[in-house]
Amino acid sequence: MIEVKDITKKFGRKEVLKGVSFTANKGEITCLIGINGVGKTTILNAIMALTPIHSGQILINGETIKKESFEKITFIPDAITMLPNMRISDAMEFMDDFYNSWNQKRATELLGFFKLKESDRISDLSKGNTAKVNLLLGLAMDVDYILMDEPFSGIDIFSREQIADVFTSHLIEDRGVIITTHEISDIEHLIDKVVLLDNGQVLKEFNAEAVREDEGKSVVDVMREVFKA
Amino acid sequence: MNNIKFNNRDPVYVQVVRHFKEQIATGMLEPGQEIPSRRELANKLKINPNTAQRAYKEMEEEGLIYTERNLPSRITKDEHVLGSVREELILQAVDSFVNSIRSINVPVDEVLYLVKEKYSAEDKN
Repeated sequence: MIEVKDITKKFGRKEVLKGVSFTANKGEITCLIGINGVGKTTILNAIMALTPIHSGQILINGETIKKESFEKITFIPDAITMLPNMRISDAMEFMDDFYNSWNQKRATELLGFFKLKESDRISDLSKGNTAKVNLLLGLAMDVDYILMDEPFSGIDIFSREQIADVFTSHLIEDRGVIITTHEISDIEHLIDKVVLLDNGQVLKEFNAEAVREDEGKSVVDVMREVFKA
Repeated sequence: MNNIKFNNRDPVYVQVVRHFKEQIATGMLEPGQEIPSRRELANKLKINPNTAQRAYKEMEEEGLIYTERNLPSRITKDEHVLGSVREELILQAVDSFVNSIRSINVPVDEVLYLVKEKYSAEDKN
């Protein structure tokens, strides 16, 4: 389990996280939802210790993050971080050299799943295919948790569908996933938990099936109530 | 297994169970027939694997499916259960029909007459 406990963060005088708490379980897809600029990416960066927090605590499987934690958890940023003139195969080799948790077998399987050619250069790929390569590089790792920043943002509907298909496939296995998004209608049926964020705070944390079962509401219904209140 | 058009306000697992019941009642799924694993089902229906698991658990509790040791789950052969699935679906359909027709204030005899007419017209087609 990833536990985010009352974390705060300031950029200069601006308080971007004002005591954020939530949990994300292994074997579940947790979705951080909020309009842009509410601190979603900052939260993911904080979990990965890429940015210092001012107070609060983040625990992964009960422990604070340390060097070994990075073999358990991976972060997929919203844009690919590989050099444009690299081929997909070069990027995969780079990951293999860099991380012990790189799983070449799963990477090859993902190439097939996304219908990508490893000889293609990253600079020649469409936006949708670039996003898929970016995801592949993270999903191929043998980690317990995968953090994805806006995996569905700015790409065509067919690429979005293909990416959504990964979540229902064996390629996710029983790993824990945290994704951030501001657009959830595509994936309402795929997610377990929803964390609604606004202005650096958690407004509501709930299980999507439970809210349908207990209140007869869709995730979007709850978002309307919470964000318009 | 066809694709289901899910609505957003009913629990997904409930909709999956209902879909299975429809398939059983219409004979699309036969008694004793093997059903997909939870992962295959999740992938086919594009739903969360935990939801697929929940739907199977529910169906197992209702006796709709059974699992022997580590073999794939199958549709029940219990005629009592199969009969009650059909009955449940019929009653649900009648309920929702009655609810919508009642709001237009139609006398029951007229409704029955229209239902019979409609049925025989469709049989001719």
